[in-house]
Amino acid sequence: MNSEYLVEVKDLKKWFPVRRDFSQVIKKERKFVKAVDGVSFGIKKGEIFALIGESGCGKTTTAKMIMKLHEATAGQLIFENNDVTNVDKKRLLEYRKEVQMIFQDPYASMNPRFKVRDVLEEPLLIHKLYADRDERLEKMKDGLSKVKITPPEEFLERYPHMLSGGQRQRIATARSLMLSPKLVVMDEPVSMIDLSTRAEILYMLKELKNEMDLTYLYITHDLSTARYFTDRIAVMYLGKVVEMGTPEQIIDNSLHPYTKALIAAVCEPKSGKVNIVKEVPIKGEIPSAANIPQGCRFHPRCPYAKPSCISNPEPKLIEHNNDHFVACDRYKEI
Amino acid sequence: MFKDLKYKLNEFWSEFRKVKSGVVGLVFLIIFILMIIFEPLISPFPEAGKRWRDITYWEDNSKSAPPVWTNLFTSKKYARSETLTAPIENVTDNGRVKITEYEFDYDYKADRPPGDIIFRTEATGNLLFITEIIRPDGETVSITRNNYNFSKPSNVRIALSNDSKNGAYELATKFDKENTLSIPKQSIDGFNILFSKVQENMASTHDPLKGTYKIKIRILNPGSTGVLENPRVIVSGSVSGILGTDNSKRDIWSGIVAGVKWAMLIGLLTSALSVAIGVIYGVISAYLGGFADSLLQRIYEIFVSMPVLPVLIVLGAVFKPSIWIMIIIMCVFFWTGPVKTVRSIGLQIKEETYIEASKAIGASNTRIIFKHMIPLLIPYSFASMALSVPSAIVYEATISMLGLGDPSITSWGQILQDANSAGAVIQGLWWWVVPPGLMISLVGMTFAFIGFAMDKILLPKLKTR
Repeated sequence: MNSEYLVEVKDLKKWFPVRRDFSQVIKKERKFVKAVDGVSFGIKKGEIFALIGESGCGKTTTAKMIMKLHEATAGQLIFENNDVTNVDKKRLLEYRKEVQMIFQDPYASMNPRFKVRDVLEEPLLIHKLYADRDERLEKMKDGLSKVKITPPEEFLERYPHMLSGGQRQRIATARSLMLSPKLVVMDEPVSMIDLSTRAEILYMLKELKNEMDLTYLYITHDLSTARYFTDRIAVMYLGKVVEMGTPEQIIDNSLHPYTKALIAAVCEPKSGKVNIVKEVPIKGEIPSAANIPQGCRFHPRCPYAKPSCISNPEPKLIEHNNDHFVACDRYKEI
Repeated sequence: MFKDLKYKLNEFWSEFRKVKSGVVGLVFLIIFILMIIFEPLISPFPEAGKRWRDITYWEDNSKSAPPVWTNLFTSKKYARSETLTAPIENVTDNGRVKITEYEFDYDYKADRPPGDIIFRTEATGNLLFITEIIRPDGETVSITRNNYNFSKPSNVRIALSNDSKNGAYELATKFDKENTLSIPKQSIDGFNILFSKVQENMASTHDPLKGTYKIKIRILNPGSTGVLENPRVIVSGSVSGILGTDNSKRDIWSGIVAGVKWAMLIGLLTSALSVAIGVIYGVISAYLGGFADSLLQRIYEIFVSMPVLPVLIVLGAVFKPSIWIMIIIMCVFFWTGPVKTVRSIGLQIKEETYIEASKAIGASNTRIIFKHMIPLLIPYSFASMALSVPSAIVYEATISMLGLGDPSITSWGQILQDANSAGAVIQGLWWWVVPPGLMISLVGMTFAFIGFAMDKILLPKLKTR
């Protein structure tokens, strides 16, 4: 096994069964929504790894499988060289201590009836850390000052609805760090926060990473923050990784037509360009994951698609150069 | 913490005040609670609850007497209850026999004679009691002769009504021999004749003879060793108490007052227990989902589709009828009430991100259910508790009404059952039937009003109703 990775997923799949009607049951027809359809990547220790893609491409499902909130249909999840795909209750609790998550919506990720104190205390109580009440309080205050919530004493007694979005996301961060995890999965942590505070939060997260020796899995649809924030990027399309590499490789030197389209779609707030609505090279919506196109799954929307893209088997993720992977048969031609 | 609670209660109250029916319900609830607290003060028979089935406790009342206030609505007034003390005492002792004479003055102003006249005293020794009544027109009617021999102080109770037949018959034959002899002696009512004017046909038609009656008790005590203490005469009126009496001479009002606490206990305990079980069951079902959910829902459906009353009757007949067993049996059926609603609310809560977040931290199912989900359901639980109180009370009353109730308590259902088996409705004893029935519906209404009000406040979607 490759020990350079803290966490590694191998051909991870999540298929949700579709409710069948009676005739389908009789015919033993089974249909699945293939939310994640064979994803492989590894995250090195101390790295910030980004998963990028449109909504519905399976990036959140992948994150939830890594969090073990969803059971994987197939594939392997390896954490610190141990297979944790199927674990018993005790191991799961240990795993949860090591891997934490920050959710997209800071308004929904905290029980509205819990005070900040209760929110932060919950992980400590569950994992039975610090039996002493004062010790716990000290730890909570410490956690709050780490995420730059000051003065901590004042915030402990507040309810989530009394806080701003940025403050909530800081507290959600503090909660995920209470257990000193090794990996933090962040599901679009800044997408619901005011633009003005985004950079601040991301800066804080980066600082915390260095301070606490963390590894991040950063899930986003926002290329610009990914470039600013991450060490490596994987681009997902319809349940599969189509391109993977460093931000420079992905953004400045993209190979896959889908990645190119994503980059082209980013707005640039530069004078003179503001009023130009960009023409996006790809058309249409992402197809349903219950009905994945034959051949290359991107072909219905690909501007460069040829009949061979449909008839050939699905392209594999191959190394272009220097840890830059791409899943397109014709990337050299385009 | 305390401040928070106070604030929330204040907020709740200011909302609650706006719902009129809720306030009415609350006023009634306070009245009922006050009735429980001040039971010894407002009940003329404070031990009614404990000694409901003890006939000696009630023996000085008259049978089936209507309430006192019915006198306001009739032209012929009934005699009211009185206790006569301080008689004129007259003692002669000739060495061999001591004769004590008590003379009580009873001022009869009503149109209908009292139910009974009872002489009571505490006595020791060998005693012969001779009682007679001297009417305002001077006629003397002797009533009883009773001989007692007590070695230690004992209660003497001499009731005159039943024994007055002989004297009254003699009186009637003295003045109207012809008509009286045509009537069998056993069928006359002694007091009716005793308290009527002397006239033709006096054995069957009664015109009240008002005035002062002297009740004279002569006690002969050979050997002069007897002791008599605290002699008194109790006139038990033909109207009695706030709500009259039943045919076992029990005071209905005292029974009603004693029944309040049982109704409250049955209602509140049953609803609290069953709602708690139902809410936890519903949440667990919603949270677990999948196969467990289906299984729990099928079990729930079995309980829902079982008819409660027949099962209650059978179980009531099998087990020793005790109030606690009855509460448990009712809980076994009533917990189904909130399940469906709670499950649907639970399905909603379960999908919240904070539940997922909590799972990601490592929270156990128990923790998620009890810390995250149930607190959100507490308002609903209170409303549904209030709404299920009436049915518990009605069911207890039904079971008692069928004669399967707990004989060690006094509940309204049991009063109704007694009334039913005594044929109270046919005899026109409405004061025996209406008050307990009314109380059952009043308590039901109280909690229904409070429940509706809480529903409206706590589940704002219903506000338009």
